[in-house]
Amino acid sequence: MRLAFWLYEGTALHGISRVTNSMKGVHTVYHAPQGDDYITATYSMLERTPDFPGLSISVVRGRDLAQGVSRLPGTLQQVDHHYHPDLTVIAPSCSTALLQEDLHQLAAHSGLPPEKIFVYALNPFRVSENEAADGLFTELVKRYALSQEKTAVPSVNLLGFTSLGFHLRANLTSLRRMLQTLGITVNVVAPWGAGIEDLKKLPAAWLNIAPYREIGLTAAEYLADTFAMPAIYEAPIGVEPTLAWLRSVIENLNRTGAERGVSPITLPKLSAFSLDGLSAPSGVPWFARTADMESFSNKRAFVFGDATHTVAIVKFLRDELGMKIIGAGTYMERHADWVRKELDGYLPGALVVTDRFQDVAKIIDDEMPDLVCGTQMERHSCRKLDVPCMVICPPTHIENHLLGYYPFFGFDGSDVIADRVYLSCKLGLEKHLIDFFGDAGLEYEENGDAASPEIELSTGNGHIAPAVAVEKESVAVAEDGEMKWTDDAETMLKKVPFFVRKKVRKNTETFARSIGESSVTVEVFRKAKESLGG
Amino acid sequence: MMQVSGDVQIIKEDNVTHSFCGLACVGWMYQKIKDSFFLILGTHTCAHFLQNALGMMIFAKPRFGIALMEEGDLSKNEPTLEEIIREIKADHNPSVIFLLSSCTPEVMKVDFKGLAHHLSTPDVPVLFVPASGLVYNFTQAEDSVLHALVPFCPEAPAGRKSVVFLGSVNDATADDLRAEAEGLGIHVAGFLPESRFDKMPAIGPDTVLAPIQPYLSRVAVKLERERGARVLHSLFPFGPDGSRVFWEDLAREFGITIDLSDREKAAWEKIRSQTELLKGKKVFLTADTMMELPLARFLKSAGADVVECSSAYINKKFHARELEALAGVRVVEQPNFHRQLEDVKRIQPDLIVTSLMTANPFAGHGFVVKWSMEFMLMPIHSWSGVIPLANLFVSPLHRRSNLPEFDKEVWLEGVMPSAE
Repeated sequence: MRLAFWLYEGTALHGISRVTNSMKGVHTVYHAPQGDDYITATYSMLERTPDFPGLSISVVRGRDLAQGVSRLPGTLQQVDHHYHPDLTVIAPSCSTALLQEDLHQLAAHSGLPPEKIFVYALNPFRVSENEAADGLFTELVKRYALSQEKTAVPSVNLLGFTSLGFHLRANLTSLRRMLQTLGITVNVVAPWGAGIEDLKKLPAAWLNIAPYREIGLTAAEYLADTFAMPAIYEAPIGVEPTLAWLRSVIENLNRTGAERGVSPITLPKLSAFSLDGLSAPSGVPWFARTADMESFSNKRAFVFGDATHTVAIVKFLRDELGMKIIGAGTYMERHADWVRKELDGYLPGALVVTDRFQDVAKIIDDEMPDLVCGTQMERHSCRKLDVPCMVICPPTHIENHLLGYYPFFGFDGSDVIADRVYLSCKLGLEKHLIDFFGDAGLEYEENGDAASPEIELSTGNGHIAPAVAVEKESVAVAEDGEMKWTDDAETMLKKVPFFVRKKVRKNTETFARSIGESSVTVEVFRKAKESLGG
Repeated sequence: MMQVSGDVQIIKEDNVTHSFCGLACVGWMYQKIKDSFFLILGTHTCAHFLQNALGMMIFAKPRFGIALMEEGDLSKNEPTLEEIIREIKADHNPSVIFLLSSCTPEVMKVDFKGLAHHLSTPDVPVLFVPASGLVYNFTQAEDSVLHALVPFCPEAPAGRKSVVFLGSVNDATADDLRAEAEGLGIHVAGFLPESRFDKMPAIGPDTVLAPIQPYLSRVAVKLERERGARVLHSLFPFGPDGSRVFWEDLAREFGITIDLSDREKAAWEKIRSQTELLKGKKVFLTADTMMELPLARFLKSAGADVVECSSAYINKKFHARELEALAGVRVVEQPNFHRQLEDVKRIQPDLIVTSLMTANPFAGHGFVVKWSMEFMLMPIHSWSGVIPLANLFVSPLHRRSNLPEFDKEVWLEGVMPSAE
């Protein structure tokens, strides 16, 4: 038992419903107490689904338990009657798993034909979101994929694209654009938008592309084993990885093409991949060489996230933007070994593996990096410390579900990531000006950030007013127990550029404590400046 | 079908599906009672719910948390929370800790009362709050919180007659209600809950309990039984009609006869443009927050055609006056959502008041929607709440009429591939 506030991974049911909510004609019925229906809101609000997500709850009430009644058969009949799904996935919840009800038997009582039902009775206490999603998707692929003729033209399946995936639509668009440029057909995208018929025809493709370590990989491995389908597992994030990915796609398809006597695909001039077809496909290689970016050489970055994005972003920041990586970590313990292997030589210390956001917050607090790439949780941690942060993977927030085209994949994605790094980090030349001349007229209210618009966004459901109230309160709490500053010392601190002020305050206090002072006076502050070189 | 007085019939169906469990009350209760901590004994699901659904993912140390039951904890006889309680006390220094139950420990038959008693100390009581979704819907767990607070409301000796308002509202609304009552010559003993644990109101035989939220029937009955307090049975103070009846009835409890008909008329006059728009509009309330009965009654008084008022729970006694006022309206308890979908399709309401889960999908089907939860977070009580209340209903109607034509074949294409 431990005290938890926020968690990185969602529940097994979240994973299951991410897969089924992606799919056509597939419904999930979860056997659960009524409140578990909150899961529906994650789709209808974050993805703003214009139709009812294919999710129904077979409600378990205390009274039903006492009377030994189960509503599951009835719910399955209602769902069949109203939605006519091709397949209904039946999932347990924490409470019903404990009751050890036989879902197979209950489902059979519904009278629905067995081919329209799939009981996915995993243990929700042991399995989390990504493992459940990956597992269910694999089971569905196993159930439906049929051996068949390959398509006449070079084709690929895009696997692992799942409802609520990070920048899902834009990533898909970016991959489609590149494949189109190469003249490659997309056979099936799954689970996103796929129906049962699509799963059946998966083996018709020449190649599987499964760029997410978390979801889709196991299904691609199954298809490789069973149907001898080659697969590419790398994520095309960053310019060099995208080039390598394109070469690998071409090479794999040409191997099949050679066997089938189809003329080989060649990599066109790279400008063919640009949005206008006339320019460099990405601005990143030149951008990284500009004097502007030279100031990034000493920026210290910390990266924390799922497996796929942590690996990709560390490599991008170091290899392509020339930043310094001071540490990285993941909450995906299942994939930690893979992350370690991929990042061998990139990290100054051990990979951080934890599912406690407090651990990560503490590292950030201790290290005060110039840039944090993390999840929504790190964004909150960083706000308190005034450390720049960009969100690179789930868990996300409504503001990570934007309308515009912001892929992370492909050449287009490299530009998006580089822009975000640039906008998140403190400035280059301007920074020198500000450092040298003080605030350069850019002074902000010290606590003005408590009302910044991002707090209003931190809802998505109308809980705006309470959210603001909490944030204000948290600032007050954070400032309790802080060291006292004399008025003179405060005045002196005001002369420090505003955007490093919090950092200077913190460092000064740490210094003061280290020399046994209980408050910060002008004298202590000067000493700190001398000894810290600030 | 059960008969209430008059010709109101309540149709009872099988269950609400699209709503939250009682844990949702943490979202506002921890902010209301400032020196509290809300500890949920629950699973990953409870944590994921609080994190996602209520938009409460605000960093810092929130004054609520989950004692997370993992697989290894399931085989233990009783959960051991001492270490967690120590951590909470060290970090938050609360005056009171509310221990909320959830579905899994309920299924395990954890002895919550014993557990809370065992963890309590004289300076920091730990109070058991039943909130599990096996029994409690959304706002109902506020009732449980107030129930747990009863022993901390001092006994008011017989003598001076005074009112205690029942239900959590923000401070500004509380001030308004207090001033209004005092203006009528009614002595106000306070609110249950107040915003500090040590400031809970004294309640005794000469206390009149005035419920200002429609989901607090259990604590009202408890106080009636244990303290001999009188519970005001009136309309809830929403809208010009509700406000007039509420204050007149409350005054009568104090032997004061007042006629607020002019005030009511003036209030309707203030929202004339809104009620003109609402007149004859078909409004469907799908059941979510349990505020549906008074909201529907206001809509009916405003001239709207309430085509269905569904609510998770209806208490014939506690809601008697609202039910009477809803005579002629189709009232459903524990509605079946599939049936509602069919009725919505058939009736084609002009406005649907519905949950966070269902609002966007209804909008995608071409309907005008309003989040039911918003009514809990807006100051819609009494006279000062009349305009905000009316605006909540008309704003989506206005908005829709101001937006250009929408061809869903064009603008929804590809938005939800699974639905195509």
